Amino acid sequence: MKSDILSSSLSSPLLEEKTELDERLGTPWKVIVLNDPVNLMNYVVMVFRKVFGFNETKATKHMMEVHELGKSVVWVGEREQAESYAYQLQRWRLQTVLEKDD
Amino acid sequence: MIEFSLQVESRIITAVLPELEKLFALSAKDEDFSEILPNIDDPDFKEAWIDGLKHEAKVDRNALARLLKSPRFKFGRVEVKENDVDDLLRGLTEIRFTIRKTSLKEVVDEELEAGISSISSTHPEVQIGYFAYLLMAEVQERLIQEIS
Repeated sequence: MKSDILSSSLSSPLLEEKTELDERLGTPWKVIVLNDPVNLMNYVVMVFRKVFGFNETKATKHMMEVHELGKSVVWVGEREQAESYAYQLQRWRLQTVLEKDD
Repeated sequence: MIEFSLQVESRIITAVLPELEKLFALSAKDEDFSEILPNIDDPDFKEAWIDGLKHEAKVDRNALARLLKSPRFKFGRVEVKENDVDDLLRGLTEIRFTIRKTSLKEVVDEELEAGISSISSTHPEVQIGYFAYLLMAEVQERLIQEIS
């Protein structure tokens, strides 16, 4: 039932209009790093420092969120920049996803 | 040049090196970035994204190959040009992911994070894979310390 509502909403002109409006208003995007069992803690801290220029404390805070909560929102902002950060994080083999910040 | 010696017996490194070379070849074949792609709908953009990551992964693997082929590495000596450090750090991560997906595929995440306590009772393939995994982690850890 839910998926029917979703699929009909997805194709509705109202949603398309809203999406266009979101794009124009520059709806923020979240860069989210997910936990994995392979990457070392100090490696993740180092990557956050290199990619975002975080200080040690902030980088460690985000690393601990990833480790303990399974994910951390490391950056929120304009889509193009979010994509650039996601690419850089993936280049360092951190599992990264983008989400609209609704 | 960044140089340091690992606190690992050379007989362990010698035993693990052939496995690492095998895994190294696998990591090039096995690379699949599609599963980590963010939710992007544009197919051209997706292709460019994946091609970019693949190209850069190749550069990272070359840095790892230089380390593994270095004649002094089997004695625990790590020598890396400063320009190669980032590439090598990423190459080490990539091969650890490959080990995780192959030799250590039966090991659950929690056990891998905490350390396999009963390694002697595991299959020889798991044992050698685990030593290779730890060795690569040791190199990465020391390298990060050196550049910090």
